[in-house]
Amino acid sequence: MASALRSVPRKIWQTLSSIKTGVVLIILVVIFSAAGTVILQRSMTDADDLERAYSPSMLRFLDSTGLTDVFHARWFVALLILVCLSIVAASVERFPNAWRFFARPYKGPDESFRKVLPTQARIAIPGNDEERGLSAAERAFKHLGLKTERIVRTDSFSLFSERSRISEMAVYIVHASLLLIFTGFIVDSLYGWRGFLMLTPGTSSNQIEMKNGSLRTIPFSIRCDGTGEETYADGTPKKYWSKLAVVDGGQEISRKEIVVNDPLVYHGLRFYQASYGRTGKLDQLILEATPANNVASAPQQISLAMNQTVALDPDTSVQLVEFIPDFVVEDGRVYARSRDIVNPAVHMIVTSNKANSSANVWLPPMPGIDENASSPYTFDPKDLKTGTYTGLQVSREPGQWVVWAGVVLMGIGLTFVFYVVHMRFWVVPVRNAQGGTLLWIGGTANRNRDAFEMKFKTVVEQIQKELKPEIVAAASVDATTISRITMAGR
Amino acid sequence: MARANAEQHPATGTTMVVMVGLGIAFLLFMAFLNVVKSGNILSEANFLFAALVFYAGAGALYLGFGVTGIDSYIKYASLMTWAGLLANSAAVAHRWYEAGHPPFASIYEMLLSFVWTLAALTLIAEKRYGVKVIGTVTMPVAVVGVILMQLLPSEVRPLVPALQSTWLHVHVTLAMLAYAACALSFALAMMFLIQDKVKTELFLAATSAFTVGIYAAVLTRFEKWGGLNVIAWDAQNKAEVFVSRGVRLFVTIPDLGWLMVLVFAAVLAPLVLFILSRVQKNDGLLAVADRAVFISILLQALALVFFLVRVRGGQYPSLDADGLYATSLAASPFILSALVGGIFANLLYLLLLWRRADLERLLRDADALDRITYKTICIAFPLLTLMIAAGAYWANRAWGSYWNWDPKETWAAITWLVYAGYLHMRITRGWRGRRAAYFAILGFAVVMFTFFGVTYLLPGLHAYA
Repeated sequence: MASALRSVPRKIWQTLSSIKTGVVLIILVVIFSAAGTVILQRSMTDADDLERAYSPSMLRFLDSTGLTDVFHARWFVALLILVCLSIVAASVERFPNAWRFFARPYKGPDESFRKVLPTQARIAIPGNDEERGLSAAERAFKHLGLKTERIVRTDSFSLFSERSRISEMAVYIVHASLLLIFTGFIVDSLYGWRGFLMLTPGTSSNQIEMKNGSLRTIPFSIRCDGTGEETYADGTPKKYWSKLAVVDGGQEISRKEIVVNDPLVYHGLRFYQASYGRTGKLDQLILEATPANNVASAPQQISLAMNQTVALDPDTSVQLVEFIPDFVVEDGRVYARSRDIVNPAVHMIVTSNKANSSANVWLPPMPGIDENASSPYTFDPKDLKTGTYTGLQVSREPGQWVVWAGVVLMGIGLTFVFYVVHMRFWVVPVRNAQGGTLLWIGGTANRNRDAFEMKFKTVVEQIQKELKPEIVAAASVDATTISRITMAGR
Repeated sequence: MARANAEQHPATGTTMVVMVGLGIAFLLFMAFLNVVKSGNILSEANFLFAALVFYAGAGALYLGFGVTGIDSYIKYASLMTWAGLLANSAAVAHRWYEAGHPPFASIYEMLLSFVWTLAALTLIAEKRYGVKVIGTVTMPVAVVGVILMQLLPSEVRPLVPALQSTWLHVHVTLAMLAYAACALSFALAMMFLIQDKVKTELFLAATSAFTVGIYAAVLTRFEKWGGLNVIAWDAQNKAEVFVSRGVRLFVTIPDLGWLMVLVFAAVLAPLVLFILSRVQKNDGLLAVADRAVFISILLQALALVFFLVRVRGGQYPSLDADGLYATSLAASPFILSALVGGIFANLLYLLLLWRRADLERLLRDADALDRITYKTICIAFPLLTLMIAAGAYWANRAWGSYWNWDPKETWAAITWLVYAGYLHMRITRGWRGRRAAYFAILGFAVVMFTFFGVTYLLPGLHAYA
């Protein structure tokens, strides 16, 4: 009869807020996440690898169910949202009670409470002096570093002492932090983006290349002033760096040299050093030029950029006209085999103004093609600087601060959940059957019960000490009974 | 004093002492060779050898307790563990000083740190929590770790740019501490099951199933005509050989595959016998199963020796490229760990089989172990949380994204969820005792998969890093 009156929304709420639902949802997340690591995912695998790994019908099935992109599939996102909702529901359902417990401390235990409390003890007060008992207890607590307050009862006082009540809220802090992290994550999934920016030194750009190939324009430009790589003696990369400058509204705002692990951040956009490479184009050729008719004279050091002309003396100049990164000679001509700098060759033209002649100089010499012999200068190549580029990863993650706040909060929450214990002690003067006055001492803790039992024993012993300082503690053992009613569960 | 039951093999007791003695002699000989070679007393290698000898001594004494049941062995084993830890600390300090960074940058360094953590945790568990027999498990693992280190390239490698960050140290330290705490909770849960009077034959079934799983994983590398595929190793550059970006070159060691199949059958036998004994309600088959375990250990040792010998000497063909290529143990750390782990797990089962009464006497009571398991997980869980958070923050600084759902990250999250499940079940549903212990064991299985399985098994499916 009563169940028929339970509305459907109420039933849904009950299911959603139950721990069982939470655990079932966790299990589902685990299963599908695991599936997403075992089944090849489109976001991380090349399309042909997928086609090689699965048969066409299997691949069609996986694609249609979303199993090839589990973590972005709608049903997976829905599952995560369900997890969030269940956390919210479970917390909302239990929070009012917890808050009531937290906000209204139970300071004066009544008789029925005292009867069933598992951790309790009674100490006989010498002289049946209530006040002596209470002040002894107060001194004892003070000695142990616990604060007490006197609670007014109908005809006497009692004592109440507690520590770290916040611990009762700890679990809600942890779950709230989880929700924060989820929120940040969802915000980033919806509003965040990542792209790629490739720059060569001296160029600047405000176009970011996105994963799907489209270009995204950002409201400012990044200029690359230089990029480079350092290696260790054995060739392992040591450092990739780029000197970047931010140009906003035509003005240079800031400069930074970035390396891996240290990005440039401006207006919420982050630029990470992701890759570095050579463009295969010549930047600078450095050579030493010696006059052909005077080999003993000191060589001149000159540097040539592509198509640049440099004067060697008032009469002669040299121009760099061709650079081939990987040359091969075929049929009396020099061709480029590839763009990798494997076998570089340069072609220069040395012009004599007076004689009005020019010579085609090739380095390395190309027999049958070059005219190195008729050049007034011989050249010795010293260094070849080829073009470099820097690859920057660009990302915008508006939700990340929410995520980090959630992480910090979770750290705090977990510390409280595991290591901060809410302890309560009560001391109530009671009458025994013979009319004598005893101190009833009780205590609870919300975790680490075995450690608490030890603490309780210490408290009782300390109160005993304060009550009868002149009598050896051992003699009073028989006047004290520490009883423990074991209860199943908590 | 209760002696072991009729299943004890007195002859094997002597064999074990002889084997251990031979092992220590071998190690001391290697130490001597090394001192002669380098002429240098206070070198990292010597500290490590000293640590090795002490850990081996401790391990031998723990196992000696397993054979003889003499309690004082445990006391001396403890002392040896202390000595080993001191030597190990010296090695760590030396390495740190030489490399200029804490020892986290290569597998050699990771093993060094891991072995140190193992010794430290053993002592903490003994002193703080009174779990005295944990050295039976941790010291042999430490010994294997140090031996493994001798087989790996040990040069100080400079850090590549992606690893040049304080977050490396933070993340890796947290990971090691978290995984060590999880490992400890696993050992404690096992001990609880022993004290909770779980039948020995169930341990037989579990150990056998575990070993079957290991050899099944190794057999994923089985090649059609009986070879075993391992990754090629370039001795010049001390690195794996790659066919193309991210794709490793595999060579096939002939006949090793057949050997692994044989051993697979041998490790399957005890499990099959156990199932038969249940189905036919014939306890006599259990005795046969125990003998089968003993035989399977010998065969597993054989497989390990063959694996070592074939891998260290010789060039092998590859299906993906022309010519012959060499390989190295450094290229197959997972297969090596799996083979050694299988032998080790089976030896522990034999320890239980022959010394259960003594173990039960020495271990704390079931209730205490249950609580200590829970406390260990209370330490492991925050560490796991911080490890994932540090990893995410570092990924964000290095690659611009804190969560990419890549297999390692995802499985770390799954591990976290499983332990969260344990805590929920324990705190809110009052799960105690056996159910909690099984959950803790499941948690550790997931940790092992995250640590080993993701790197070893998953790329096998994907064929790229």
